[in-house]
Amino acid sequence: MADINKVSEQQNELNEKINKAAKSSGTEIAKALTFIIDDRIYGVDISYVNEIVGVPHITVIPGIPRYIKGVINVRSKVIPIIDVRSRFDLPEKEHDDKTSTIIITYMDIQVGIIVDQVQEVLSVKAENKADIPALERVNNNKFIEYILETNDSIKMILDVKKLIFDDDFDIEAVAAE
Amino acid sequence: MAKVEAGMEGMVDMYLFETTTLIDQLDEILLRTEQANEFTDDDINEVFRIMHTVKGSSAMMGFENLQKLAHKGEDMFFIIREDPSKMKDIGFVYDLVFQMSDLFKAEIEEIRSNPDYEGTDFSEMIAKLENGAKMLQGELEEAEAAEAGEHPAAAKSGGVEAANENQSVIRVYFDQDCKMENLRAFLLLNRLKESFDVIDWFPKDVENNSESSATIQEDGFLVTLNKADVDEALKVVEQSLNVDTYEIVTDEKEESESAAQQKAAPAAEQSAQSAPKEEKTAQAKPAAETKKETAPAKKEAPAPAKKPERAPVQQASSNSGKQSLISVNLQKLDQLHDIVGEIITTESMVISNPELDGLKLESFQKAARELRKLTDELQDSVMSIRMVPLIGPFQKMHRIVRDMKQKLGKNVELVIEGEDTEVDKSIVDNLNDPLMHLVRNCMDHGIEEDVSERIEHGKPEKGTIRLSATSSAGEVIITVADDGGGIDTDRVLQKAEEAGLLTKPASEYSEREINNMIMLPGFSTNTEVTEYSGRGVGMDVVKKNIEKSGGSIFVESKRYEGSSFIIKIPLTLAIIAGMEVRVGDVIFTVPTSAIKQSFKITNNQIIYDTQGNEMIMLRGECYPILKLYQKYNLETETTDFEQGILILVEADGKKVCLFADKLIGEQQVVVKPFPSYLSRYNLKAEGLSGCSIMGDGSISLIIDVNNVIDKQ
Repeated sequence: MADINKVSEQQNELNEKINKAAKSSGTEIAKALTFIIDDRIYGVDISYVNEIVGVPHITVIPGIPRYIKGVINVRSKVIPIIDVRSRFDLPEKEHDDKTSTIIITYMDIQVGIIVDQVQEVLSVKAENKADIPALERVNNNKFIEYILETNDSIKMILDVKKLIFDDDFDIEAVAAE
Repeated sequence: MAKVEAGMEGMVDMYLFETTTLIDQLDEILLRTEQANEFTDDDINEVFRIMHTVKGSSAMMGFENLQKLAHKGEDMFFIIREDPSKMKDIGFVYDLVFQMSDLFKAEIEEIRSNPDYEGTDFSEMIAKLENGAKMLQGELEEAEAAEAGEHPAAAKSGGVEAANENQSVIRVYFDQDCKMENLRAFLLLNRLKESFDVIDWFPKDVENNSESSATIQEDGFLVTLNKADVDEALKVVEQSLNVDTYEIVTDEKEESESAAQQKAAPAAEQSAQSAPKEEKTAQAKPAAETKKETAPAKKEAPAPAKKPERAPVQQASSNSGKQSLISVNLQKLDQLHDIVGEIITTESMVISNPELDGLKLESFQKAARELRKLTDELQDSVMSIRMVPLIGPFQKMHRIVRDMKQKLGKNVELVIEGEDTEVDKSIVDNLNDPLMHLVRNCMDHGIEEDVSERIEHGKPEKGTIRLSATSSAGEVIITVADDGGGIDTDRVLQKAEEAGLLTKPASEYSEREINNMIMLPGFSTNTEVTEYSGRGVGMDVVKKNIEKSGGSIFVESKRYEGSSFIIKIPLTLAIIAGMEVRVGDVIFTVPTSAIKQSFKITNNQIIYDTQGNEMIMLRGECYPILKLYQKYNLETETTDFEQGILILVEADGKKVCLFADKLIGEQQVVVKPFPSYLSRYNLKAEGLSGCSIMGDGSISLIIDVNNVIDKQ
């Protein structure tokens, strides 16, 4: 439990931004929360994000794919945890105080994703958004929805559905339960 | 069109609940009387009352189609009530009324699930009921005609009279455009009847004659009561909906002569209407003193049978209704339940707080024990609120057997035992479908089609389906058994082979295994789809449903003797007593109900079989050892049997020893299902039934002993 309260200042700041970010304004078409995994910058659409917490004690559950690390307790809710590193087939990394869990909700299904470090909340504008077909062979493109190009760097915005579900999975059936 | 009358939206739930209860009651009466082959006056009155109430409330809610339907049903029973001898040998009435109750149920379901539902057209059924009524009337028509001739006269003189000095008459006017005055009057009448002796009322036919509305508009609704009750009754009247004004009638002599002709009254009424209410109540006193002595002979003539019969029924039902029962929204109960769960978790958080370790806290411990006792009590009472007897789902089976009996032409009796066994409400709800399916299955496939087959095997001609329930040690065991042909194991095996369901050579299957094959997905021995079973979904759905409520089902069958389906379900799902055990980093909860014993051993007690599997000898019995760290592939330093602990668990008569690092302690835990995200992985097959949050906020995994034993 104590772990959840140990949210860093940066995480707190972002949490506030997430709460405010409900509406996009002006030329902005969406907002994305970006985070770092293995020195690359990724993001998820902020409409899926509930909050950012630290890494609480994870209870291992046997018999599930390796990228699902187990379940955590967030305010008496049992939430499954996906390690994005293992999802991307990257080597696992020791958790440190920058490691964060982003709680996301997709079709009423709540999961937490573990990332190396959360970064910032960004505006997505039509002019700096690039669709994926042009980048067909980019590494890990299976999970990427589009590319976000800002002044200094390129961010890969992830498709939440593909991130948390395998292709053959019937989401409606699960959500209905 | 807004389906529900404006202002009534809030009442819909209540209406649906009430009507469902009434219709269930109706079914029950009909089934009972049909079986007993006797329809007592009380039953007739009760049925009549049900139809009537349904009609009234449907009209209030604006469900016109339901109102009409109930009305026709009521008409039919009106005829029966007038002359009960007609009920002697008329089976078609039962069929009609059952059909009607089905329509009601379906419609109520529709309304419940779809608030904008337009309403089904029941004209076909209504016509059938009308025909039924005509058939009933049949030979009585002449007498009826004669009676009809008398009726107007009766109605004319149908005013209400205070028969003696102890009675007085109240006149009630309803709001000018409240509509359906007759029904409002009827509802008011019922309310008065609940608390007081209603001696008489006028117009007499408010319940089924909407034309009486006009009379009520004109001259008000008249009720005769005992004088002693008047003051109280006026309060009831005052509180009733849509009542505009009311008064104690002072001069009913005139009125009783001819209600229609009364001209003096309107003037008086008008003054009464404009007068403030207080005044009228004041008026009540002197008015009540006006003594009236009129011969009661007249008033008894119009409806001799009606009153004396109705009154006791009404009273009886209102009495039982006052058994200090309330109906509560299940959601609220669930909330309460959740909170109790949280309290229990928090309690452990406080009492077994790690910061207390090593402190000497005598009075704290004492207070903690008190608290534990109280929370246990709280939990028990919340649980008991949710417990309901199985009588509901069991009774429904009567109906299914009855219907199928006719359709299939099989002579079958349904025997019910232990229907007062109580289980959690959520489980009862989940039981309906499986039970229905099983009973249908017994009717359709179980009981032999050919009676000679039964006689040949020394069984009575009449088949029996036995539905029974018993509870034992945190479990309820429900059995659906028939004395039919039993399961043809050869055919099942052949079928399973065709469907590619066999995983080992056919000869290696035991009888029990074969019997239980019928519950595999994709198995249905019936090649033809009938109305009742074999719709492509089969026993596997039953099995799935029961497993969803945490239960299990298996089949026992003997060829030519019958088969039984045995369902075991936990009494309650939500909170269990569990033993926490640690394996490496992971904490497991083993349900205490399954634990026989836990003990330490020395290595030389271990026996190895030829494959190197460990076993242990205990009081002359040998049990296999299941190492949890190995099964779940967990890292732990405790791999030596002497350092860890063995827990002997039992399920379904099979026993196994679980090996864990150490025991942590016993705790009440709130069972949480695994998040839906994980539902695609069959964790139940892994021997895990859910998880729970422990005092320190960490999560423990609850072991499903049944599956652990089966899958090891």
